[in-house]
Amino acid sequence: MSEKLTAKQISNLQKFGGVNPADETFSRRDFAKRVGATGAVLTGAVATGVAITDPWGMQGVKPPPPVKLGNYSVRDELPASAPSVVVVHSNPESQPPSESGENQAQRMIEAALKAMGGIDKFIKRGDIVVVKPNVAFDKNPDLAATSQPDSVAAVVKMCLAAGAREVRVCDNPINNPESCFFKTKVGDAALRAGAKLILPQESYFEDLYIGGETITNTWRMFYKPFKDATKVIGVSPVKDHNLCKATVTMKNWYGLLGNPRNQFHQNIHGIITDFGLMMKPTLVIADGRKLLMRNGPTGGSLNDVKRGDTMVVGTDQVAVDSWCVSKLLEKQRHEIVYLDKSIAKGYGADWRPQWTNEITV
Amino acid sequence: MVQIRRAYEVLFLGLFLFFLLVTDLRYLKGWPVSIFLEATPLVAVSTALTTHTIYRNLWWGVFILGVTMMFGRVWCNWMCPFGILHHFFGYIGNRKNTKQLIEVNRYRWWYSIKYYILIAMLVMAGAWIIPTLIATPGEVVTAWNTDDGSVATRPVRALANGFAAAAERYKEGGSNLQIGLLDPIALTVRSMTTSVLPVAHVATESIYTEPREYWYAWVVGLIFAGFLVANWWIPRFFCRAVCPLGALLGLLSRFSLWRIDRDPVRCTDCDLCLKNCEGASDPHKDLRKSECFVCLNCIEDCPHDALTYRFLPRKASEITWPAVGRRQVLLAGIFGSLFFPMAKLSGGVKKNFSRYVIRPPGSVAEDEFLRRCIKCDQCIRVCPTNVLQPALFEAGVLGLWTPIMISKMGWCELNCTLCSQVCPTGAIREISIAEKLGTGPFESKGPIKTGTAFYNRGRCLPWSMDVDCVVCEEVCPTSPKAIFTRNIEITDRWGKTLHLKRPYIDPEKCIGCGICEHECPVKDDPAVYVTAIGETRDKSRSLLLSLVDDPAGSQDLVSIG
Repeated sequence: MSEKLTAKQISNLQKFGGVNPADETFSRRDFAKRVGATGAVLTGAVATGVAITDPWGMQGVKPPPPVKLGNYSVRDELPASAPSVVVVHSNPESQPPSESGENQAQRMIEAALKAMGGIDKFIKRGDIVVVKPNVAFDKNPDLAATSQPDSVAAVVKMCLAAGAREVRVCDNPINNPESCFFKTKVGDAALRAGAKLILPQESYFEDLYIGGETITNTWRMFYKPFKDATKVIGVSPVKDHNLCKATVTMKNWYGLLGNPRNQFHQNIHGIITDFGLMMKPTLVIADGRKLLMRNGPTGGSLNDVKRGDTMVVGTDQVAVDSWCVSKLLEKQRHEIVYLDKSIAKGYGADWRPQWTNEITV
Repeated sequence: MVQIRRAYEVLFLGLFLFFLLVTDLRYLKGWPVSIFLEATPLVAVSTALTTHTIYRNLWWGVFILGVTMMFGRVWCNWMCPFGILHHFFGYIGNRKNTKQLIEVNRYRWWYSIKYYILIAMLVMAGAWIIPTLIATPGEVVTAWNTDDGSVATRPVRALANGFAAAAERYKEGGSNLQIGLLDPIALTVRSMTTSVLPVAHVATESIYTEPREYWYAWVVGLIFAGFLVANWWIPRFFCRAVCPLGALLGLLSRFSLWRIDRDPVRCTDCDLCLKNCEGASDPHKDLRKSECFVCLNCIEDCPHDALTYRFLPRKASEITWPAVGRRQVLLAGIFGSLFFPMAKLSGGVKKNFSRYVIRPPGSVAEDEFLRRCIKCDQCIRVCPTNVLQPALFEAGVLGLWTPIMISKMGWCELNCTLCSQVCPTGAIREISIAEKLGTGPFESKGPIKTGTAFYNRGRCLPWSMDVDCVVCEEVCPTSPKAIFTRNIEITDRWGKTLHLKRPYIDPEKCIGCGICEHECPVKDDPAVYVTAIGETRDKSRSLLLSLVDDPAGSQDLVSIG
């Protein structure tokens, strides 16, 4: 220190043993360490910045790549002569007096599948099967507004017996999902038959590409159960509907739509037609043992329910719906606009006697 | 040195005020008016956490990070307009003697509060990490199963892709941006926009053409004034104790290569260096590196030249890290990770979303909007009609002071996209007039709709009072008009025959601009009013199936130019 120091400064200097620590310069090692640390952190910040830069501000609105629902149909593997629709009537006289509804359903569906080539044509060992009932409302199944628990149970058991690895039962109902599965008794029946119940969760929905008439691009769908599934079976009631006149197997896929799905009532036949494009099911089963003839889709009175003693099983959902609305619901066939639209677009064919098997068990 | 700093202070405050004043249709031209907002690294860091991207010019924040890592918190006393205002207010409010000045500039333990504020806000911004980590194992398994690349790197790829997939999924809905509440630039722009400039206009009639009113501006203004006046008792109260940006820079100045250093031999412990110390960084002892604003006043004030600003002084004479307690950090983290979901799940945002949250055109979907908007209210500043207003709790507590359109205050001008041009973070994406109106390349996509107009027929003159009107139809700017009329012939109460035009809305054509509501003569509660439903930015808020989606819409995204 060259300048003149005050007494205080001299005593300070003595305290440090005559050497001013502030005069100490940094060592080479110190320099490398500290400049290196700064450099490393700065480089890290810049590298992270470069990696996540969004120069045009478009990342925030970039849609994810479109995902499409798989094709679950096995129609191509069936012989061309196999009927696309099998109608099974139950003869009340030949029915054992104390037979359960589930047994009856099983007998009827088995007979239908036999006519189409046997269950093993549809369900293979190791399949993951989604069974989609219609449990839109929390109503007693006797009111025929929802799928019958016994037919759901019968389908689940048949799939498991045919070697399916897993059977999932799922729906995204209008009413509260828990109470719907509980009060329609479908949840309990499915679990007891050995299926896995999948209630909708927010994260189970994904944007699916449809490219149809109403969903021209994508829509949020209850996709998770279908994502790794190999087969899909729709089990639906046969009922009246205030707006689109009939709810059978095609409208059953409405339960895949995420919100705000109420808008689809602005073009109900359009959306049901789009389901024909979106969903290629392995099988559809219309349970016509109980028919809701009026005041659909909610019903609510046993006076609206008619006994039908029929089950319609098919690989062509358009044909199944067409048969059900004309023969069971006694509607004017061309009132059901979505059927004509679907046929025009080639998503299915109208029912014809030559492709339809009618049997009685 | 101090003179140079003062010159910088004048320069940067001047620049800031200049940009603030030219944020106006008449003067905007190409001025980079968002530069200060883009330069605060807190915005870059926190939006990177919430959106996983760095939006356009937010790169300037990285530059300031670099400067801080070299020279310390020079930002706070050389560049930050709010810091410079604090400096100035402290100066004019200073009525203390030397002894008192030294005492008010000593470090206080509670100056570390800013670090806890920063942590709580960053935890809110990064809250997606919690569900992401929970979902990662499952996603890693999926990534492993679907991967058929080279075997050697498969585990690394599965881990990285699995984490990325989980992060991508939970980014939406999993975090929130609140730094704008206290980020000094956002706070200053917001306060200037909503309270200072409108007041200045009333006095001078020189800022707008028409006086502006802003919804609950007095709250914003009072907070702003409160922070400034606090300097009279505690100099730099905001900068020392509150500022989350200061806290971030304080953490990073740990790496700075230059800093103030005290020569322990020359120092006679007179404490005069504290007299004008802005940061309360204890230059008279071992320097608190994280608190120093590099104002260099201490060097000027030292009678013995014991203080210098130098390269790599010894480690032993500094306190490198901020003085924060581990337990307090934990507490701040817990607060952030609990407050965000609680606020978000308090309703009013998703299921019960408010009809009043009408976002300006170009706004991204609400969840993403709240992850991008820093409440700087620069969009509100530039809006030529006063329609943009700072929300109070209409968009939930998390949407405080975000922009909404209140059509009684103004309307969305048809051929105007200024708000989208000045948004620094992309909460309002930059759009062109063509995209806004759905013309040219955007023909198939249709116009951007911010809401839909409805009639309250009980208050409408031709609908319920036998009086001709249809101003709404006249001002409706779309082509063809969204408001159309039907001619009717009625018998009035005296038996005379009257011909009236009654207005209707075509919801496909209505873009929600709100000029009908603004011009409706039933001023207090207009007979035609706009609500948020039908806005095109979010599919979940659509109204018409015919407009809900378009295959062309998702492909043609580049709008600028």
